Amino acid sequence: MHPVKLQSIIDLFDHLPEVERRETLVAYSDSAPKQAPRPNEKFDLEDIRKDEECADTVGVYLQVDEEGKAHFRMTLGPEVQTLTRAMAAILCKGLDGATPQEILDLPQDFVTRIVGADLVRVRSQTTYYVLSRIKAICKVYLDRQRAKQIA
Amino acid sequence: MSTEYAHPEALVETEWLEQHLNEKGIRIIESNEDILLYDTGHIPGAVHIDWRADLQDPLIRDYISPEKFARLCGRHGITPETTCIFYGDKANWWACYALWAFRLFGHEKVKILNGGREKWKADGRKMTREVPNYPQSNYRVPPRRLDKEIRAFADEALAQSQAKKPLIDVRSPGEYKGEITHMAEYPQEGVLRGGHIPGAKSVPWKTATNDDSTFKSAPDLAKIYLEQCGLKPGTETVVYCRIGERSSHTWFVLTYLLGLESVRNYDGSWTEWGNKVGAPIERSGGS
Repeated sequence: MHPVKLQSIIDLFDHLPEVERRETLVAYSDSAPKQAPRPNEKFDLEDIRKDEECADTVGVYLQVDEEGKAHFRMTLGPEVQTLTRAMAAILCKGLDGATPQEILDLPQDFVTRIVGADLVRVRSQTTYYVLSRIKAICKVYLDRQRAKQIA
Repeated sequence: MSTEYAHPEALVETEWLEQHLNEKGIRIIESNEDILLYDTGHIPGAVHIDWRADLQDPLIRDYISPEKFARLCGRHGITPETTCIFYGDKANWWACYALWAFRLFGHEKVKILNGGREKWKADGRKMTREVPNYPQSNYRVPPRRLDKEIRAFADEALAQSQAKKPLIDVRSPGEYKGEITHMAEYPQEGVLRGGHIPGAKSVPWKTATNDDSTFKSAPDLAKIYLEQCGLKPGTETVVYCRIGERSSHTWFVLTYLLGLESVRNYDGSWTEWGNKVGAPIERSGGS
């Protein structure tokens, strides 16, 4: 079971022919800069780093609202590959409003349904990278919440 | 020491290409690591060749058949007389790989855009998302692949090592020493052991390029590969990396810019050698 917004994106890609899939991924990649934090936005957690799995720095920003729903922003260095940019935009939109626990429990098999088997190859394993970073920040958030409750 | 490349005709500069975009008889070919990069914008008139989907057999770890190569070229309106000008990301790794693959099928007229995609973009030259559509051509099926001439297999790399003939490892120093099994910033590609083929010298591919991704001058390249590394014209040389793309870059430098005649690319490279039962390796040390 995927969050509703993510499910609608998966459904869209499920029915796209290969050429339109590529075009849609490029369109998402083009829109990735719009996911950057706005001035004066406040976040519960920020995780900006450069990992070996990715060609450039990726920043993930998490804000959890009063209803416990997650909202994400992301920053991407100039060397980040197109597919990774596309996944950043897709996941910021698709996971918006899900709870951190729902995101942590999300199986990663939906990634191939979006990207398509032809584009998932060894050198593009970074398609999973953005999801792993989002899950990582959710885990830190939940761990801290649990620690607070115990204290 | 020559101040000229051995085959200066194998390179074109961005300025020249911009002035010859519509010239008859040329085809501009983009080949990248970032598989969607062409879709985000490319040199006007350029076609896209995907190093894996277009050039590699889907079921056997090998290149496509001559028949498939002829169909690929036909689809892009390329004939054996077409001058193919390759360019791409990563300082032309995959452009050199595609060029080398075209040479495998005997395509003679091949060139590299000096500085590749990065230089074209840095120059502020025009890019487009318009995908060109060229009339289908009839490319003669090549009679054979030039595997014996420009490609090395594992047993040939082993023979090269045992005969103490030149082997050039173009990966990063960390990969060569066996400290890491993949490039920094890249995912692990399933290699079990780190190190290098015994006797191989370490000359990272990047040694041959300037900061703007263009190739270094002929005297600089000669100093690196002929003086410091000791390569000699006429001596059989094998280059390798991890899957054959970075070594294609060095193969191009040695073959076209320095004019060495017997250079072969071991495309199985470390993803084969590092996993191969019985293949000897060395760690650290070397040169």
